Amino acid sequence: MWLRNFIFSVNGYYELLGIERKLSLDVAELQQRFYERSREWHPDKFARKSEAERQQALDMSSQLNDAYRTLRDPVKRAQYVLSEEGFDVGEQRSRDVPPELLEEVFELNMALEELRGGDETAKEPLEAARSNFERMLEEVDLEMGKLFAAWDAMPARETLAELRGLLNRRKYIQNLIQEVDKELAPAA
Amino acid sequence: MAYSNKVLDHYNHPRNVGSLDKNDPNVGTGMVGAPECGDVMKLQVRVNPETGIIEEAKFKTFGCGSAIASSSLATEWLHGKSVDEALAIKNTDIVNELSLPPVKIHCSVLAEDAIKAAIADYKKKAGTKSDSVAAQ
Repeated sequence: MWLRNFIFSVNGYYELLGIERKLSLDVAELQQRFYERSREWHPDKFARKSEAERQQALDMSSQLNDAYRTLRDPVKRAQYVLSEEGFDVGEQRSRDVPPELLEEVFELNMALEELRGGDETAKEPLEAARSNFERMLEEVDLEMGKLFAAWDAMPARETLAELRGLLNRRKYIQNLIQEVDKELAPAA
Repeated sequence: MAYSNKVLDHYNHPRNVGSLDKNDPNVGTGMVGAPECGDVMKLQVRVNPETGIIEEAKFKTFGCGSAIASSSLATEWLHGKSVDEALAIKNTDIVNELSLPPVKIHCSVLAEDAIKAAIADYKKKAGTKSDSVAAQ
């Protein structure tokens, strides 16, 4: 058991799938590697093997699944690399969020609140707000791609710090979109 | 998850919602947030410069019921306290008063951070103010 844990803790998701540790990934290639590795470790191939080997094949298959699911999604991939690089991505507190971002999110929330609870006339501005947030999300994703490329070219910590800030902004915007959708959904 | 009665009370009847003039030299503003849950909390205090007592506290929070209740309770507690007493408010006090479950403790942390940020902002303003007085 300890050996298994040891092996898995050394092998990160990138190594597990045998791909270069980059933030910009070719998703088609990633998928191909995942299929190859999954075939290698398919539990059916181990049906006649020892209990320990069968267990190992099962563990590998589930690890490969986790690795693929994490790396194929750009946001999860970025979070994964950030946490591997020692950035705290889960329980961040206010001191890590730039004040301009909080100010902006606060103002957007205020604007949204004014539209909320209104009658049918609020529908149009709410939809306008939604497409505005969608546009902001697209801009964030574009920016994320740039930071990915920058880090792949030169792995600097400042780039990762910037990336984390961007992920926070993304999360806030997604949240605002959810709030708008709640308003736009027909009352149950 | 069931909210405690106290949380529900603050959520349904939030105290001191609103804002103070952030350009008033006696007003301190604290703006904090938690990206994971999309919460933003603004908490403001108006301090009497003669006595150092908080005479008014206002908040506006976008977030879950616990975050709203935590900041609402905080403004209630801040009223009439000195700046130093305000800084002594701990998130655990809020947790206990509202019976917050472990998954909602971060909401009380956010409220404590907001108090500290508001007081720090007031002190910074008060500091620059006395400096400019001294310079005259």
